[in-house]
Amino acid sequence: MTTSVKRSPHVSGRRSSGDHRVGGRKRTPFSSTRKSGKKRGPSGGAFVTPLMVIFSLFYLWPVLQSLISSFFTWGLLRPWDLFDRSTWQFAGVDNYRRTLSDPEFWHAGANSLLWLVLFPLLVVGISLVMAVAIWHARRWSVLFRTVFVLPMTISLAAAGVIWSFVYNSDSHIGVLNAVLKALHLQGTLDIGPLHLNTTGQWLADPGTLNLGFYDVRLVNVFVIIAAAWAFAGYGVITFSAGLASLPQELIDSARVDGSGTVQVVRHVIVPHLRKPMRIVFVVSVIFALRTFDIVYVMTQGGPNTDSTVLGLLPWQQAFAFLTSPQAGQASAVAVLMSAVLIALGFPYLKSMLPRKESR
Amino acid sequence: MRRNRLTLTALYGSLTVGSLIWMVPVVTALAISLLPIGQTREGWWNGSLSQLTLDNYRDAWDQGVSQYVVASFVITLGSVAVSLVVGALASYAFARLEFRFKRVAFFLLLTTMIVPVQIILIPLLPWLRTLGLDQGGLQYLGIILVHTAFGAGWAVFMMSAFFADVPEELLEAARLDGASHLGQLRYVVLPLALPGLVSFAIIDFVFVWNDLLLGLTLLDRDHQPLTVGLANLQSPHLAQENLVSAGSILVILPPLLLFVALNRFYVRGLFAGGVKG
Repeated sequence: MTTSVKRSPHVSGRRSSGDHRVGGRKRTPFSSTRKSGKKRGPSGGAFVTPLMVIFSLFYLWPVLQSLISSFFTWGLLRPWDLFDRSTWQFAGVDNYRRTLSDPEFWHAGANSLLWLVLFPLLVVGISLVMAVAIWHARRWSVLFRTVFVLPMTISLAAAGVIWSFVYNSDSHIGVLNAVLKALHLQGTLDIGPLHLNTTGQWLADPGTLNLGFYDVRLVNVFVIIAAAWAFAGYGVITFSAGLASLPQELIDSARVDGSGTVQVVRHVIVPHLRKPMRIVFVVSVIFALRTFDIVYVMTQGGPNTDSTVLGLLPWQQAFAFLTSPQAGQASAVAVLMSAVLIALGFPYLKSMLPRKESR
Repeated sequence: MRRNRLTLTALYGSLTVGSLIWMVPVVTALAISLLPIGQTREGWWNGSLSQLTLDNYRDAWDQGVSQYVVASFVITLGSVAVSLVVGALASYAFARLEFRFKRVAFFLLLTTMIVPVQIILIPLLPWLRTLGLDQGGLQYLGIILVHTAFGAGWAVFMMSAFFADVPEELLEAARLDGASHLGQLRYVVLPLALPGLVSFAIIDFVFVWNDLLLGLTLLDRDHQPLTVGLANLQSPHLAQENLVSAGSILVILPPLLLFVALNRFYVRGLFAGGVKG
């Protein structure tokens, strides 16, 4: 694994090896088709049709249905149907108005905001430190990197389950509590606005952080830590690839100028990793807002609704009680979420779209 | 020199400690899954090697996990196969051919990498019922097509990047020999882009295998995948840590083995096209 990481010339490059040049210019997925791709046999349309049919039936059409049906009142027992007027119970913008005035929505939104801030910070911070340390170590770097990257392949459902063991309130099962108990650190801790309960109720009642206008429920933090553990490997891989392309001369010359390790990290390594940092940051922001699995497995949004996030809300509204006619409102939440994500992710999307060839 | 040696020791020391801490959750699950539940309740770290047993796995297997495993493999392998076939065809067109609405189509495909699954989830249930894909084994076909659709952006983004790497001269030569586009794809592009296809297949496997939300929502209890089975086992009211831990290890294992065996392809794939969030 390291060999390919190290060889990879650029972190976010579309291709990892040997960019082929045609007539001296780089090929992109969209280039040089006009010149050389003269029609022969079926045209491009025929090749994309199978995928686009599946894509339209199972993505575009449901998206469209979500959009339209969010303006109707309906439930899954009596689903809204575009072609059946008897199912149309038009609600106007009521679903949106009700959502935006629903304290539960804002509560979930606040928790998602916490995810949005804390999760990318943790992921970028942890994986940056690890990647730089591993890069410095050189020897055994394969082993260390594998350890830190492995959790990345673990399903978030499984990650949630195994972290629930770590957090288990029984100090014979939960390592965290066993350690705290051995160190006699169990109790409650009040530092200014922070109220921390370390008696082992990590997923039930770990305390709050009082911001004056809002109590941050710390249970979210413990779920976020588990998620960051599962995701940090992505950052480690990305940063490692970036570090592999860092010219040793740059560091040597900084050393000659009398820079210490900290200064080298600050003024040479971190600036060199700006682009990978941006990528890891954006991807983890998207991840944080879409979160469902790990919260569902670890807390189901509880206790009460302390750890509900936006990703959980539409599911609970639409599926938890099939008899309730809340599917329209759930669709509205999903639409709002998607709008935020598209807005946040638009620059990222555009960067993935190949540039128009002007030839 | 001395200072250097000291920093190096500190570096390796903290990396070792960090690695050990990093492994704690997995080691916990593995230990609980291999020890009798009685020992787990008295501190699994006090267990001895002689107590190790596969009983928990057998019990979990007998309590319905076998069915979940089968469902997981059917869904995952099916989704990867369909995505590979229709994705490769489309990617060839995106990388090499011209057609109308190409950029719009590409952009729409890419949105699947950003938006939450929840945006298609709610209407999907009635829609699959309308299509007749909500009964028995047909549910597998339904969820495979949904996975294919929601993974389409990733598939095309990644595979078209690999296909664009194939040297134009080789395609030119094939054309001179009278190869059609399908022939060029079959005999030139696919063999040369094989590592890319493997990368995509692995990443798609891991992604589909690890899905919880679609399986939880779209499938009935007899057809749910292992991740959902694990979530069903995991209930705060049931003290069955032994079964849950065995289930979690079974969920983790296939993607992990793939990753360990085909590591290079996995990492390469990630850099072929950003990452699937």
